[in-house]
Amino acid sequence: MEITLALLKPHVLRNTYALRQLKALIASNFDVLQAKEVRITKEISECFYAEHKGKFFYQRLTSFMQSGPCYALILQSESCIQKWRQLMGPTKVFRAVYTEPDSIRALYGLSDTRNACHGSDSEASAMREIGILFPEFDVTRIRSSQANNSKSA
Amino acid sequence: MLHSVKAVTHRLARQYTAKANRSILSQDIKKIKNYEPKISGTHANRVYVWGFQETGALGLQTNVKKAQERYTEMVHHPTRLQFSNNNEITDVTAGYGFTAYAVKRSDGETLFGSGLNTDSQLGFQVKGNSKDPANLDVIIYPTAIKLPREQGETDEDMQVRSMSSGRAHLVVVTQNGTVFTMGNNSYGQCGRSIIEDERYTASALINRIPQADICGAEDEIVAVECGQDHSLFLTKLGRVYSCGWGADGQTGQGNYHTAGQITLIAGDIEKERIVRVACSSDCVLALNEQGDIFGWGNSEYGQLDDSVDAETQICTPRALTLTKGIGKVKDVAAGGSFCMALNDQGLVYTWGYGILGFGPTVEQSSKPQHLLPPLFGRNDFSNATTVISIGCGVFHMGAVNSDGDLFMWGKNRFGHLGLGHKKDQFFPFKAAINGKVTKVAYGVDHTIALCRPHI
Repeated sequence: MEITLALLKPHVLRNTYALRQLKALIASNFDVLQAKEVRITKEISECFYAEHKGKFFYQRLTSFMQSGPCYALILQSESCIQKWRQLMGPTKVFRAVYTEPDSIRALYGLSDTRNACHGSDSEASAMREIGILFPEFDVTRIRSSQANNSKSA
Repeated sequence: MLHSVKAVTHRLARQYTAKANRSILSQDIKKIKNYEPKISGTHANRVYVWGFQETGALGLQTNVKKAQERYTEMVHHPTRLQFSNNNEITDVTAGYGFTAYAVKRSDGETLFGSGLNTDSQLGFQVKGNSKDPANLDVIIYPTAIKLPREQGETDEDMQVRSMSSGRAHLVVVTQNGTVFTMGNNSYGQCGRSIIEDERYTASALINRIPQADICGAEDEIVAVECGQDHSLFLTKLGRVYSCGWGADGQTGQGNYHTAGQITLIAGDIEKERIVRVACSSDCVLALNEQGDIFGWGNSEYGQLDDSVDAETQICTPRALTLTKGIGKVKDVAAGGSFCMALNDQGLVYTWGYGILGFGPTVEQSSKPQHLLPPLFGRNDFSNATTVISIGCGVFHMGAVNSDGDLFMWGKNRFGHLGLGHKKDQFFPFKAAINGKVTKVAYGVDHTIALCRPHI
């Protein structure tokens, strides 16, 4: 089974109701392997968003992520990267509210930057991002259990 | 045939009335209590609220247990706020999941709030008695916010002159010209330096800034306006000061930094006398005495500049060219991805991205276009009816006409259009409010209207 990194952004953590709803939604769709509140420091955000460096929104994104604690989760389920991204909806909140009004971003996003959550876009980036936020998490354990699963199947 | 029908109805009616008469006759009329309906007028202002209820921003519930029994996540219809029956409310402001009220009371409290308080944007609120100082995350009924007083400050000094709320902070200016800020300061939006890893939950800190420290002794602050994470201060001489998040240029200070220091902003407004500043997210509009529009901040949807190679972030105030030709502007409003303007003819112009009021097929307009006056209550019988004020939240727009009717349109997030349903509204539509609307506070997912009675 696939794993992915989900990150709930600072403004969602300040809204007790939204946080409760999102945790319930996650629990009903995925197995949560690990979860913790993280403070995204300057170093972490620079590392985390290295691919966006140089884009016009880079400074906006990193300063936003530093504005308060985030909630990071490692999720597991069948095709979970795709599934989580589907639940999140389009990146741009102002468009998401019309195109996918029931997605997380349309419901709890406040602007294109304050877009409520983050999800890894591929298996490789999931591994990279988990490595940054959960350095203690042993990715190989998942890999070996995956290998075992495929053998037995 | 006809005769028999008549006879039947007559007999039925007689039976009924005879019985009723008997019961009245048997009573002593002197003992029947004379019912006198309570006439409105003790408090001229009444408040109607609607939208998302779970955060407590609507302040309609008095009891947590009862609230759980009668579970209502959202309120679709404008509902009268009980708090406004017993209190004279003079001003309202709506943030993200919270509301603040300016109140005139005999006990000297001037500021009340309800809703999310996770960043102490409604001050330090204790649960139960003062011996049990558990800070409340959510306040479901308006509660007094204690502004710290200096010696000699009277109740009159503490009355609210202007106030505004952002995503998680509240800025209040009192009659004696003191600025109070509370809540989240992670971008410096409270006008003080940013403290790394500051905890805003259960914080009793209310920052106090004398207006002379901001604009000098010869000027005074007349209005405040908050974007989601920044604050703007407008003075009597028409100058604008700012602080907070500037990553989109919304502080207008000529850079994209965060600023904890309240600073005068220049650019094209340097020599102008600004009379109004409007902002609900990250895009700011300002209006000068002559009715010209200026803007700065986020322009990703072409709100401030529609040219081909336009910048998406503008950090210095600039006179807008795309609004040239719509006449003298009286009022402006800026949402998340769209802007609005009202000219002296009473025409409402909208542009940008989103539901602009032109129906379901128009989602983007780079040029300001006006909505037709009949949409705002003008017809053959009320020819003089015209829009007098406009406003918007991040996702929705509204306009109030000279009859005191409120018209709403846009994204209907958690029912915050108050039209009795959850569907998006593509044309302006009148909200059913039992009063003449005088001021509307547009939140992110709730709306508050300050009204006067019809009679």
